[in-house]
Amino acid sequence: MAGSNKRIAKGQELADITTNPPEGTKVKLADESNIFIWEVLLDGPEESVYAGGHFKLKLVLPTNYPFKPPVLSFETRIYHPNVTNDDKGSMCLGILRSDEWKPPNQIRAVLKMVRDILVTPDIDNAVEGAIAELYKSNRKWYDKQAKEWVAKYAGKK
Amino acid sequence: MSRSRSFSRSPRQSIQARFGFFDASQQPPMPIHSSSNPTGNLLEVTFPPAELQRSMSSNHASLRGMRRLEARRQMEETNYLSSKARSQNLNPPVDLRLLDYVTPYDDNLMCPVCRCAFIDPVVLVECDHCFCRDCIRQTWATTASAYTPLGPRGDCPSCRTPAKLGARSATSKILVNITDDLVVRCPNSEQGCEATVKRGEVQDHVGIYCGYSKQECYAEDCEQPVRRRDADLGCLHYNVTCFDCRETMQKAELEAHWKAKCPDRKVACPQCQEPILSRVLDKHSREMCPAVTVSCPGAVLGCTSRSKRSQAEVHAQTCTLAILAPVLAAQKQRLDEQEVVQRTMSRKLEVLESGFAAVEEILYPKHSVQAKEDDVRADERRIPLLLEDGDSARRRHTRLESTDVEDMDEQFSGFEFPSPTSSRPMSSRLIASLPPSRPAPPPPGPRPQDLPEPFSTDFDMPFPSAFPPPAAHGPYVSPLHHLLSMHEALRDELSRVSTAVQELDGRQSMHTLNENLRMREEMGYLGAQVTGLSRQVGWLTSTQLQRQQHQHGAGVGSSAGGGGMDGIAGAGAGVEAAVSAVGAAASALRGAAQVRAQARRGHSEEGRTKL
Repeated sequence: MAGSNKRIAKGQELADITTNPPEGTKVKLADESNIFIWEVLLDGPEESVYAGGHFKLKLVLPTNYPFKPPVLSFETRIYHPNVTNDDKGSMCLGILRSDEWKPPNQIRAVLKMVRDILVTPDIDNAVEGAIAELYKSNRKWYDKQAKEWVAKYAGKK
Repeated sequence: MSRSRSFSRSPRQSIQARFGFFDASQQPPMPIHSSSNPTGNLLEVTFPPAELQRSMSSNHASLRGMRRLEARRQMEETNYLSSKARSQNLNPPVDLRLLDYVTPYDDNLMCPVCRCAFIDPVVLVECDHCFCRDCIRQTWATTASAYTPLGPRGDCPSCRTPAKLGARSATSKILVNITDDLVVRCPNSEQGCEATVKRGEVQDHVGIYCGYSKQECYAEDCEQPVRRRDADLGCLHYNVTCFDCRETMQKAELEAHWKAKCPDRKVACPQCQEPILSRVLDKHSREMCPAVTVSCPGAVLGCTSRSKRSQAEVHAQTCTLAILAPVLAAQKQRLDEQEVVQRTMSRKLEVLESGFAAVEEILYPKHSVQAKEDDVRADERRIPLLLEDGDSARRRHTRLESTDVEDMDEQFSGFEFPSPTSSRPMSSRLIASLPPSRPAPPPPGPRPQDLPEPFSTDFDMPFPSAFPPPAAHGPYVSPLHHLLSMHEALRDELSRVSTAVQELDGRQSMHTLNENLRMREEMGYLGAQVTGLSRQVGWLTSTQLQRQQHQHGAGVGSSAGGGGMDGIAGAGAGVEAAVSAVGAAASALRGAAQVRAQARRGHSEEGRTKL
């Protein structure tokens, strides 16, 4: 694995993203001694129903990153078609699938993607079918539900 | 280069030349290229593709041979690489990706996979994307599963075009030169080497010139590594003791020990240059070092001044905020404490209030119009057990009614009531509103706002003859009466609860008794079964013994009759012993059952006394 995860080992990507984080996100190591688990704090985008929410995400890098995709999960619960509606909060994000992943992708792009799907859910690749259905059929009710969840779980700590 | 020339070589060379077509750029140092192509143009060694395909598919055997050769080629490559690595004796090959670059380089010189300046870059001919050779191979190694004898191939990591590494993959020399000319710090910079060299020369620097890389000791019979700069000092591989911490180590390691590890050696503080013991250096710079910049103690209050620790004290004497800070901190602490106390108090008050409201609810249910409205809310709070309490209270009130009312009124006429007007008219209106069938209307609940305001003064007043419970009809003339009636209601409640407890107790003991009986029956049944089993075992052993005896008798004949008899007797004794053992087991079981039943009985009795 020589030279494989220099991107992590040298802390290039982490240093880059912590000093100059993408809009509305904060990144740090969950545990200073383990460089493979990152903690991401994401503010709900203003233009989405998740505005005002503060979401905590966990990003786990595989040991052979960047050749394998990182695993991203919501630790804060969120009402969203692309996030499983349980404690795990696993995410379905196109570029995170192992057949879709490309090594040149960067975490920065991944986080941007997350913000984008908060604004516009990816209905065709939903993991929570019921929520996706609701999103399509009764948008108002979906918005209300999502806002309630934001107030319930993702409020200011 | 012509085909005929390729064929004119020895067979092995020609095969290698074929591989050169697939993968020539992977092994530029292979001797064949240098010998056959003095110009360095790799393409000259190749066949036309059509020719090659024909020769490949012509027969199966050649394919197998190619696989073997592929394996061999790989082996040669690894051998070559490892020998190259080993040639730098004790210093591992420099990992170019971990170097610290001095010259800045932009994204165009950066491999998209490892995000380092290109190291041995290759271009995918199919899409023109450029990567480090290691990166592209590793990408394909983690994704591709199929065996690829024709050299590495896969999809481009950037655009997913199917691609392969081939002869044309070598990038132009310009790019290689640019990346090799990037200036980096020596990898031994942590040990003290301050050299900055071009990346292309860093391996040579570490292997040949750097004074901080290791080499073998010159001394005879000593093969241990020593820093190159120390090599001329003679063999340093003898033990010495550190003057400061008394640790024993080799002389060659002493300097590194002093520099980093020794806890009892004085090092210069990086801020104030004072020599400080290295183990207290941390504390020194945190708490004492005069050169460290600290903020004013009044920073919590908004003082923005930051100065060296030595000057900070002077500042603190003049800064108002700094002077105020400890006072305010103490104040804040007190406030916090008070807040905690207040929170518990308010909680207590809440509990008491709700208790009071509940009691009030019990005593005066549904009297005023307002109370009726409130009832919807009140009912939810009320415990079902206490629901009848209103009735009982009413009954009691009728009983008490016999007391002389006029007397009471006289007694209280001299007594000034704080706000009689607020409750009197309301009560009279209420009495009128109640059904006429009821002889004595229960008193209306003095709603909290109706209660006399100065609660405590009432208690302090002399109250000579009010102690026998006063008449309950009409409004309560004083809170004392109110309390007394409450007390009465509580007593009622208590007696009812105690009867309920008794009932529960009885039910519980009954239940235990039933359970006990059932268990005892079960025990008896089990005991009977065990006895039956023991009998069966006895019978079986005896039949078995008899059979054995018969056989024995037949075998030995009549001459051994006495012995046979002895055997029977012995067997009989054995059977008896077995039967008695089973019996003993059964009785033990029975005994255990009894003991358990007794214990259970004792337990239940204990429970009853507790209740």
